[in-house]
Amino acid sequence: MSRYILRRTALAVLVVAGVVVLTFVIARVVPGDPASTWAGPHASAAQIEQARHDLGLDRPLVLQIGSYFVGIVSGDWGVSLRTHRPVLDDLGHVAPASIELVVAALLIALAVGVPLGLVSARWRGRAPDWVVRVIAIFGVSMPSFWLALILQLVFFQRLHLLPVAGQYDPNLDYTHPLTQYTHMPVIDSLITGNWVVLRSALAHLVLPALVIAAYPLGVVTRMVRAAVLDTVGEDHVRMVRALGFPERSVFGRFALRLAWNPVLAVVALVFAYSLANAFLVEAIFNWPGLGSYAASAIAALDTPSIVGVTLFVAVVYVVSNLVVDFAQAAIDPRIRLR
Amino acid sequence: MSGRTIKIAVLAVTTALIAAACTGSSTNENGGNGTGGNPVSDTFTYSVNSEVMIGWDPSTDYSNEVIAMQNMYESLTRYNSDTQEVEPLLATKWTSNADGTEWTFTLRDGVTFHTGRPMDSTAVKEAIQRTIDMGQAASYIWGAVKSIETPDPLTVVFKLSYPSPIDLVASGDYSSYIFDTQAAGSQDLGKWFAEGHDAGTGPYTVDQFAPGQEVELRLKSYPGYWGGWDGAHYQNLVFRVTPEATTAAQLLRAGEVTMVQRMTPQLWSSFANQDGFTTTTAPSWQTLFALMNTASGPLANKNVRLAVANGVDYQGILSALHGAGDPLSGVVPPGLWGHSDDLPNYTYDPEKAKSLLQGEGYGPGGQPLQLELTYLNGDADEELVATLMKSDLADLNIQLDVRGLQWQAQWSQGKSSDPSKRQDIFIFYWWPDYPDPVSWFYNLFRTEAKPFFNLSYFSNPSLDTEIDQTASLAATDRAAAAQNYHDMQVTLLQDGVAIPVYTQVYQRAMLSSVSGFQDNPAYPSVVFAYDLTPEA
Repeated sequence: MSRYILRRTALAVLVVAGVVVLTFVIARVVPGDPASTWAGPHASAAQIEQARHDLGLDRPLVLQIGSYFVGIVSGDWGVSLRTHRPVLDDLGHVAPASIELVVAALLIALAVGVPLGLVSARWRGRAPDWVVRVIAIFGVSMPSFWLALILQLVFFQRLHLLPVAGQYDPNLDYTHPLTQYTHMPVIDSLITGNWVVLRSALAHLVLPALVIAAYPLGVVTRMVRAAVLDTVGEDHVRMVRALGFPERSVFGRFALRLAWNPVLAVVALVFAYSLANAFLVEAIFNWPGLGSYAASAIAALDTPSIVGVTLFVAVVYVVSNLVVDFAQAAIDPRIRLR
Repeated sequence: MSGRTIKIAVLAVTTALIAAACTGSSTNENGGNGTGGNPVSDTFTYSVNSEVMIGWDPSTDYSNEVIAMQNMYESLTRYNSDTQEVEPLLATKWTSNADGTEWTFTLRDGVTFHTGRPMDSTAVKEAIQRTIDMGQAASYIWGAVKSIETPDPLTVVFKLSYPSPIDLVASGDYSSYIFDTQAAGSQDLGKWFAEGHDAGTGPYTVDQFAPGQEVELRLKSYPGYWGGWDGAHYQNLVFRVTPEATTAAQLLRAGEVTMVQRMTPQLWSSFANQDGFTTTTAPSWQTLFALMNTASGPLANKNVRLAVANGVDYQGILSALHGAGDPLSGVVPPGLWGHSDDLPNYTYDPEKAKSLLQGEGYGPGGQPLQLELTYLNGDADEELVATLMKSDLADLNIQLDVRGLQWQAQWSQGKSSDPSKRQDIFIFYWWPDYPDPVSWFYNLFRTEAKPFFNLSYFSNPSLDTEIDQTASLAATDRAAAAQNYHDMQVTLLQDGVAIPVYTQVYQRAMLSSVSGFQDNPAYPSVVFAYDLTPEA
């Protein structure tokens, strides 16, 4: 097992390194001059040259990549050209917001997707199955920006039920100031018992989380359906049936238990995907996460930030893949031998 | 945990989440009914498109932060675009000697920095000297200053090496702030600023700074402000970053923000004549130019340049902008001294354009003319201008090759040392760093050995001399300088050096509870919150 872990980890590090090199080179090859972005719009030629030197852009590309790698390991991910702050500090502020949003979305996807998958499996080929499959396809194929605008229109503008954008009502900072520990308002307000902010934060979370949940919901539903149908045919489930357990228990208890493993594997993978998928949704809901940050960075050709976000998402992807691999390997010895 | 327990836990959490959310919204979302009531009425919440605090150092800031800095810091003078005059701020009066090489400013008595230190002549000298020494941002505006003297605590004397309008320079939107250089004590001042501190004399001071967050910056009133806090004033100024225009509009509609910096013209007009909201428009000093390559290629021929200038339907461009642009007479925008309306501006005259082209062997029936135009990729307005120019000029048998590029790429091509690689028409915005028309003339139209911003590659030695003389004249006789600028604009227009396409218009929408708002184009997008009156 330890050799397996070692091999997979080494491979993962290689993948991340590849991503960094690629992003770095692409960011440098596209036309544009980071030094002049840094120096400001009407900066003089001398100021731009000074900035080029200060940023180390006058050194050969290979050296720049080399020192970037050294930096990654030592916690220096470069300085954003746009915000003039260390990229790692910026990410420390924006990544928790995205993680909060995506975790909430996945919880919704599981809470809705699992029962739907079960319903679909139990009445396979009948009306409920068709309805659920349409919902699942809808969820997977719906453009998120469109869904976002529709939800805003309905729940904010028409029904006045939910807020339109942001993480929580900023006026509460005066009346109920929130102490930030994790930069996730929901968690921070829970820790500090700030119920007013918690309510506001949850209200603000619903719409963007629903939009991001659409895709994983579809995936989870189909996964549960397939996995459950797979297991109901197996001997031990037929045994349960033969013992006279009601159909509800056969699906809800025995078949589902076996279906959990593939579903959780999918959820882990969808997590990383949703992080990137949240980019558009964050922009629309003014959610101060990775997506909004990346969008502004790209618009400003802020290469250190772009590489930083890419690196972060790549790490999340690779780590969640690793976790799934290890978990499955722990459960199923056959995988380790492959 | 068994599968069943997980399922129950997940369901419970999600149900709680949704239930709490729905109850929460009714208690804390004040407004949302379209009438726009702000729960904290002494707070002005400014919805801005992008991150505000790019830097904190008043000596080096040169970006978006101006909208916050101008509320924390003050300069010696402030430009009034209505009267086109400079008005007192930290200085109450000023005089200059006859040739404009020595300026004496009398400082306002009883002003303190947010650090508690009194604002006196030594402090002013230290602040400006630091900005000059660091040599960043727009510090070049102080280029004429040879020495700063402080004969007494309320008198500052600027000794210049050549005449310069220091009253205008001191009102600049960047690099003119007066601040307490000793604010950080023994620490490094630049580092201290970068931690999110301020050391100005302005009405507001930092309350909370949350970089990267939606509500990025909160300012609170500085109790010791020299103007005092009697009467109705906003006590807090909040900057809320909302890049999506539709989202910003929704927030305004709900009364969650007081004013929106920029929307699309369509969204903006949805607030016009609506109860609870006020809309304003004002021409900015963001002027859009199409610079023509006067040095090489077909446009080196003046008649061809004038044909292009007469072949563009300016009214068509303006109406396609839906009010986001105003016609620009000459190169100096309205509100800035030196602006004139009586100039031989270009108009859409296809017949004149045709005959000019035919005289040179081009035009319909003649040899086709191929021109390359570059603009900033992603700027919808520039793209619109480029597209309309292309279709207008196609009628004249001119094939305009329109290329949208990233700014650095567009600029690199423009600055290329090989003239054959340069574009024929370069579209971009220009705005001044302090209220003086010299900015356009010196940067865009004065001869440059190596192109930097003179991307018309225009060279007229007698105009160069006149630019230099007028820059000095502005220090002593502003009316005469304005007349010179008028004459120089005539020369430029007659030579077909650049097409002044339009000047951007600020379209603001705000809650009607705000009174007294007016854009001052000398300070782009700055809301001087202290000057506004909140209504209950």
